[in-house]
Amino acid sequence: MPDRDLLQGTLDLMVLKALSLEPMHSWGIGQRIDQFSRDVFSVQQGSLYPALQRMLRKGWIRSEWRMSEHHRRARFYHITRTGRAELKERAAGWARASAAVASILRLRTVP
Amino acid sequence: MIAGLMERLRALLFPRRWSSDLDEEMREHLGRETARRIREGLDPEAARREAALAFGGVEKWKEAARDESGARLMGDVSADLRFAVRSLGRNPGFTAAAVGVLAVAIGASTAAFTVVNAVLLRALPYEHPERLVRLFEQNSPTNRWNISTADVQGIRERQRSFDAWGGVSVTEAALSGEGAPEQIVMTRIGAGVFDALGVSAEAGRAVTTADEPAGAPPVVLLSHALATRRFGSPLAALGRSVALDGVTRSVVGVLPTGALDLGGRPAEAWIPLQLAPATRRGPFWMGGIGRLKPGVDLAAARRDLAAVSEGMSGLYADWHDNTARLTPYPLRQTIVGSAEGRLDLFAGAVLLVLLVAIANVATLMLVRASARRPEIAMRITLGATRIRLARLVIAESTVLMAVTVLIAAPLAALGLRFLGSVAPGLPRSAEISLGWESWLFLAAVALSSGALVSLSPVAAVLSSPGRSGMTDTRRAGTTRRAQAVRGTLVAAEFALALPLLLGASLLLNSFLRLTRVDPGFDPSTSLGITIALPSGRYGEVPARQEFFRRALAQARQVPGVLAAGLATEMPPDAGGNDNNFNLVDHPVPAGQSEPTSPWSYVSDGYFEALSIPLVEGRFFTPMDSSAGPPVAVVSLSWQAKYFPGEHALGHELIEGGCYTCPHTTIVGVVGDVKFQGLAGGGDGVYVPLSQSGARTVHLFVKTAAAPAGFVKPMTDALHGLDPDLPLAGEAMSDHLKDALADPGRWTAVLIAFGAAALVLAVMGVFGLLSYVVRQQRREIGVRLALGADPGRVARMVVWRGMRTAGIGIAAGLLLSVMETKWLGSLLYDVTAHDPLTVAVATLVLLAAAVVACLLPGLKAARIRPIEAIAAE
Repeated sequence: MPDRDLLQGTLDLMVLKALSLEPMHSWGIGQRIDQFSRDVFSVQQGSLYPALQRMLRKGWIRSEWRMSEHHRRARFYHITRTGRAELKERAAGWARASAAVASILRLRTVP
Repeated sequence: MIAGLMERLRALLFPRRWSSDLDEEMREHLGRETARRIREGLDPEAARREAALAFGGVEKWKEAARDESGARLMGDVSADLRFAVRSLGRNPGFTAAAVGVLAVAIGASTAAFTVVNAVLLRALPYEHPERLVRLFEQNSPTNRWNISTADVQGIRERQRSFDAWGGVSVTEAALSGEGAPEQIVMTRIGAGVFDALGVSAEAGRAVTTADEPAGAPPVVLLSHALATRRFGSPLAALGRSVALDGVTRSVVGVLPTGALDLGGRPAEAWIPLQLAPATRRGPFWMGGIGRLKPGVDLAAARRDLAAVSEGMSGLYADWHDNTARLTPYPLRQTIVGSAEGRLDLFAGAVLLVLLVAIANVATLMLVRASARRPEIAMRITLGATRIRLARLVIAESTVLMAVTVLIAAPLAALGLRFLGSVAPGLPRSAEISLGWESWLFLAAVALSSGALVSLSPVAAVLSSPGRSGMTDTRRAGTTRRAQAVRGTLVAAEFALALPLLLGASLLLNSFLRLTRVDPGFDPSTSLGITIALPSGRYGEVPARQEFFRRALAQARQVPGVLAAGLATEMPPDAGGNDNNFNLVDHPVPAGQSEPTSPWSYVSDGYFEALSIPLVEGRFFTPMDSSAGPPVAVVSLSWQAKYFPGEHALGHELIEGGCYTCPHTTIVGVVGDVKFQGLAGGGDGVYVPLSQSGARTVHLFVKTAAAPAGFVKPMTDALHGLDPDLPLAGEAMSDHLKDALADPGRWTAVLIAFGAAALVLAVMGVFGLLSYVVRQQRREIGVRLALGADPGRVARMVVWRGMRTAGIGIAAGLLLSVMETKWLGSLLYDVTAHDPLTVAVATLVLLAAAVVACLLPGLKAARIRPIEAIAAE
């Protein structure tokens, strides 16, 4: 399922990007992704959880339970150094790929 | 990476906590999402619905998250293990039997491995162990002996093979000075031995060449134990002095424990070896130890030393043997050589028991797997994959083996202690301990036995017929292949048990023969007391002779003493004090070695005290002294060997290569006495004690009543002459028991192993048949209902078991052929393929198998047809 892999990779990238700005809980991550993609890129919010577990396992992010702004226990995620490196690499890869795709698409428009 | 691992571990170790955290997080998430939508204007009910829709299935995502967390696989494994523990717990009988059998076998093999590793496999604990050799004089492949002062001089002048070398001689000495006097093992040692072995003192210094010239200040090195015992600590001992055999020596060094054991008796004190210039070629009283130069191999050293020997020919008037050569042997071989055969036998026996145990547990597992076929079929029908079921079986074996290892480890330690008492004189015993190699061995054996015992049940699961197995429950487990595997395993148990039983029977046979050997003296009426005269007060020979005379007189005055005599050798293990001689009438051809024989210096009264019968001529009398003409008494075997068909009486011999001495006349022939061990021959030459300068002698006494009661009065009588004498006495019957103790212990060990294997094999065939009868109950019932003869049914079952056992025993006989090589040297008066013993061992095993088969056979015959058929 190339679609799913692409989706997963994109989701990881967006989660890392969101967490690179500030530590946040899972709902906040979902809100931030909606904001980023201006609702273009819409996934079920529950799909964040497998992604978060995967990234925890890979050591890109860490989590801890903290008191939230409403004085309730909430799980906060933050990005680790390896996570930042991963984000940088993926972002660069993504930029290269989209630039290439864009240039190909431009070629097509030339008669 | 570490953080990721921690995360995974958390999910794994606290699965409930992990799960509830995830629940809470998702609940919180939905709550916020709902709240957001309410803020956007939706009513709470619609907001909740839309939030749930946007989130997706909570359970689905939770499962997906669990998969990603990495806890899934591990979680399954722990579930498998929990299942295995429960399922083993439901069958405590099976579990206890499997764990018990394997734990004992694995513990015993670990202990055996530990000993074999320390004694035989590990290199000697010295620098360059592969270059260390021991030097002997040798004139035939089987006859080698120690080296002499003349040899040391010859080697010093001519050798080119050694970096370092030296002589060493172990004796006993009386230690006095501060504290109670005691008899200790003392070694005279050359400085070169320390260089060769690379041994240095733990405090102070070792022996150096400066200590070796005559007239050097008298010094001594003490063992760690002795220094601590006498002075409190090694450092405190330095500079103090002790008296050894009356000579006061200052302590210049302390050696670490076990540093110089060399497989002999551990010494407690070492003094420099001081050698006067040699005047004759013998006596040969020292061990020689050397370290070869790098690049010099044993063959080169042998040639070099042979040249040394040739260079010495003709230098000494007392020596006529031109065939004797100085010969190097690897030091390791000379240290462990004697123990190698026994340890190999022991390790082999343990290995066989281990294999029998594995075969036994494998059959147990297989029977169990077969009994569970309906259950397995049910699970497969319900959708479990075979792989998953195989994993359950493996999980069970894993739990089984884990428990086994937990029990086997302390058993190994226990077994090692037991071995220490079975084999007290083992060389290198100080190096034996349970180290990492032992634990590695235990782990490896446990792992491979675990794999072996789970092989057949895993195969059974993988080849399970699935659905059909469920409908045909009564016939479950009787597929041809499973039966064949079980039969093979049981036959293997018998095949492995036979060599063990045979070995045990042979050793027992040999041992019983040994106990019936006539030692040549009467152990029931005599006792022996060892007297070691300190060289200080008894430094001169006349002083010793005077003491011996008074001791004999004193001993004969003790009431109840019928006869008393002194001798330098104590039968039956004299420790090989041999002397060479030549016969005046039948001299050996020029250039050939003179014959040797056990040689005892004895006083008058000796033969009477030990009840050694006179065959011809006379015993010694007080008149046979160094002043009179030299005389000798010989044994019957000696006479038969050197004067075949003749009388030795009145013939003359030349003692110890002294051709200028007056000839010795044979004045008596006596019965044989064992001096070379009970299994040895009866050769013996006796000469008067007055010709000997010995300081250590044995007083033998014939008593009118039980000899044990005379030890105390005799010791008191001797202490009346000299209260400081170290004395050790026991009844000769006890001494004889000591001589039998070693073969007795090895026999007992092998009998225990043989019995264990027998029990396991019998259990195996019994279990197999009981199972078959249970499985075929209905079939047998039908046959009986149709009029089959119950006796025939029983015979059929018994025949089936006996066929399996018989095949195993036949294979075992083939296996036993290999045993011959290990056992040969340990047997006395019986060969390793003694037909009677082989027959007895085979019959014992067959008889045990018949009994084991009979019970299930009778059970089958007593099956009541109605019940068996109705039970369906």
